[in-house]
Amino acid sequence: MIAKSERTPPKRERVHFMSEILRLSNISKTFPGVVALQNISFDLNEGEVHCLCGENGAGKSTLIKILSGAYHPDEGAEISFEGKPVVLNPHLAMSLGIQTIYQEHVVFETLSVMENIFAGAEIVKRGFLQKAEMRRQTLGVLKYLKSGLSPDAKMGDLSSSGQKIVEIAKGLIFKRRVIILDEPTASLSSVEIENLLDIIETIKNSGLGIIYISHHLEEVFKIGDRVTVLRDGRKVSQHEMAGLTKTTLIRDMVGRDPSTFYQREKVSIGGAVFEARAVTGNGARDISFTLSRGEILGIAGMAGSGRSELMNVLFGSAPLDSGEILINGKVVKHSTPEKAIRNKMCFITEDRQNTGLFLPQTIARNVTIANLVNTREFVVHSRDDARIGDKFVKQLAIKTPNSQTRAVELSGGNQQKVVLAKWFNTNGEIFIFDEPTLGIDVGSKQEIYKVMVDLLKQGKAIIMVSSDMPEVISMSDRVLVMKNGEKMAELRGDEISEENILINSIGDKTI
Amino acid sequence: MSSEAAPQSKQTGRPSLFRRYENLTVLAIFVGFVVIIVILQLFLTGGTKFPTFISPVNLLNILQQVGVPGIVAVGMTIVMISGGIDLSVGMLASLVSIITALGISKWQLGVVPAVLLGIFSAVVLETIMGFIISRTKVEPFIITLGGMITFQGIALLLCNSREVIMNGELDFLKTNLIQGIKDPVSHLNLIIPPYVLIFFIIALFGGLLLGYTRYGRRIYAVGTNPQAAYLAGIDVKNMKLSAYVIMGVLVGIGAVMLLARINTGIITLGQGLEIDSIAMVVIGGTALKGGKGNILGTLIGVFFLGSIGNAMNMLRLPSEVQFVAKGLVVIIAVSAGDVSNRISGFLSRRKELRWHAEQRAKKERVSNRLTSPNQNETNRT
Repeated sequence: MIAKSERTPPKRERVHFMSEILRLSNISKTFPGVVALQNISFDLNEGEVHCLCGENGAGKSTLIKILSGAYHPDEGAEISFEGKPVVLNPHLAMSLGIQTIYQEHVVFETLSVMENIFAGAEIVKRGFLQKAEMRRQTLGVLKYLKSGLSPDAKMGDLSSSGQKIVEIAKGLIFKRRVIILDEPTASLSSVEIENLLDIIETIKNSGLGIIYISHHLEEVFKIGDRVTVLRDGRKVSQHEMAGLTKTTLIRDMVGRDPSTFYQREKVSIGGAVFEARAVTGNGARDISFTLSRGEILGIAGMAGSGRSELMNVLFGSAPLDSGEILINGKVVKHSTPEKAIRNKMCFITEDRQNTGLFLPQTIARNVTIANLVNTREFVVHSRDDARIGDKFVKQLAIKTPNSQTRAVELSGGNQQKVVLAKWFNTNGEIFIFDEPTLGIDVGSKQEIYKVMVDLLKQGKAIIMVSSDMPEVISMSDRVLVMKNGEKMAELRGDEISEENILINSIGDKTI
Repeated sequence: MSSEAAPQSKQTGRPSLFRRYENLTVLAIFVGFVVIIVILQLFLTGGTKFPTFISPVNLLNILQQVGVPGIVAVGMTIVMISGGIDLSVGMLASLVSIITALGISKWQLGVVPAVLLGIFSAVVLETIMGFIISRTKVEPFIITLGGMITFQGIALLLCNSREVIMNGELDFLKTNLIQGIKDPVSHLNLIIPPYVLIFFIIALFGGLLLGYTRYGRRIYAVGTNPQAAYLAGIDVKNMKLSAYVIMGVLVGIGAVMLLARINTGIITLGQGLEIDSIAMVVIGGTALKGGKGNILGTLIGVFFLGSIGNAMNMLRLPSEVQFVAKGLVVIIAVSAGDVSNRISGFLSRRKELRWHAEQRAKKERVSNRLTSPNQNETNRT
């Protein structure tokens, strides 16, 4: 029943191979205050795996979003598909056969594998679903991919790698021309990675073009034909994989001029105030470090390296399985954020809209909410809220008439200042900043850096998780590099360089 | 991760009057409703009589009718601001009334212990539901729906599906607090029973609790963004639980008041109480998704919903029409807030666009003058 499947991936004649599918030139994308991409050119051939490399924030995701039609590039961009110029939108990208498989799956968890594949494009005869036909095609493709998945398995029950395979199968059934894989191996086991790379190898031979994004260089070297390196929204280089060395690739990925970084004022470092001893939990394993007053400890690592997870353990918002946390030399057991706040800790989360702010409420209410932990009085007055709110509006130069503005009406940078004010109002001593300047324009960035230095001057201590390499290097006194939930290195002084951080965060010590 | 731009939602200009005072929309509709009824009455009587709808005796009559649902609505406001909902209050009230009535007439516990037993059982049952809701991810809608059905069953079991008649032991709750005062218009006796007073006291306490205490701040925070609330040091689970405990107390009190009015513990006593109280709360502007609303709005909702039925009676309309009117009021009141926001948003956007267009026109005029002065002159002539 599978043998005669006409929809199983066709065996194309070799003649067509290596003809160009996609060509992008002069691609720029600017957001208010941020240049995400600048004059990128990129091309993709049939039967090729073209890898995209670069640090977090290099512009890889933006480029993918342009390819999938989610973003429109700035004027002057030229995109051609099989030689014809096109203006991509999500619908056109889909009908041309460009499929993006994102890191986070967009699937119907309660539907079966087969139903997921054919969602929105069911095979119908006279208004009735042709389930047998759909099952036949699904089975055919899954067999071609050497996958043992059942077409009737519930999508939600599959592992992350299983879901990826289903999405690839979908690409084959609908004869996609381009498949974009964004960090496909994140959160996969090594066996699953092998399996997935084999599948990519297989589908490549059926004539598709594949764009592969990964910060695991081993994978890039294993399956890539060509690699394009991005840095800060610019294309640094493009190489044929044959003959390329890891050292060259890493050089290309780093290599900014440190003198262009923000110049931070140094503050004299005092005594130790915070210590983590073999902290394990929530994905973090055996992490130890100390933190002193007047010091910024940067936490670097690739996306998914367990940095935010560790911060949640330190703040009590995720369980500590083993290990100890010491504040001022005393072991503290804070099982909830409430206790952590009492212990003078503050946590500026990465996702300020969802975990930091009460968007429909006023600035005044946002600012005073966390300090309720330290308030004795049962009765609170709106007048006091307004006074405190207005004080911070002035102090942090939040651009709004007064503290009665709702948080939702502020820009990203000003929202971040409201989050900061919320924590300053608790009189905390130990600050955790998770991506302090994510999605914030350059001007506000500098203001936030200044505020951080002011905190240090007051004898406070900062742990800063950041994926922004210049930020990590310019702001940190020491840098702890993480990979897969483990501490890979602790860099200090001259050791803090882009190259050292990158090598440790991709965990390749062979170079 | 790409460097994405933060959403830049700019709000130029002053927010509209209706946005600044969130209860104003519904208050305006309520006042409009009252005015229309009064005008209708004046019209029907040819302007010869004082409109009975706003006569003191009728206003007090409305208060008596809404007293108990009002007490429950105060609790419902707190629960809904915390992000929950409680469908079980009607059947719980029936259950409490049956327990209390049984306690007085059958188990001979005495009046005060029986009343306390009734209220206590409401608190226990609400606490159980609140515990499940706050500790699991199951929707409060479903838990309290289950509670509603369960309470109905327990109540029917307790009374063997019969009514429990008392001998007026709770009549002291019906006494008139302003004995002897007469309505200057109709010369009828004015009546304020204790439960109307209790309703106002509870509403006052609820308003103070939500608006002026640490507890209130936290309830709003939990309803707005439970995750952010947790990270701001708020015990989200126990805050949610506490809202249901308060609800238990208020339903208990409300049920005893109902029992005092009817003098009979019966399963139909609390019927529709959940619908009425939720309707009152949403008319008052409390959001189903939590974090928004206040007691003042709920009070307006309570009086509004209560006066609809009354006004229909005054106008001699059949009672079936009341349901239609009540339903329409809920729909109008809730969508009016959104509509007024949209209108003011549209107006301010238009103002902004016009301003931009003017700026552009000005610039063009300047550049035109610079580049081709002749053409400009010919245009003028």
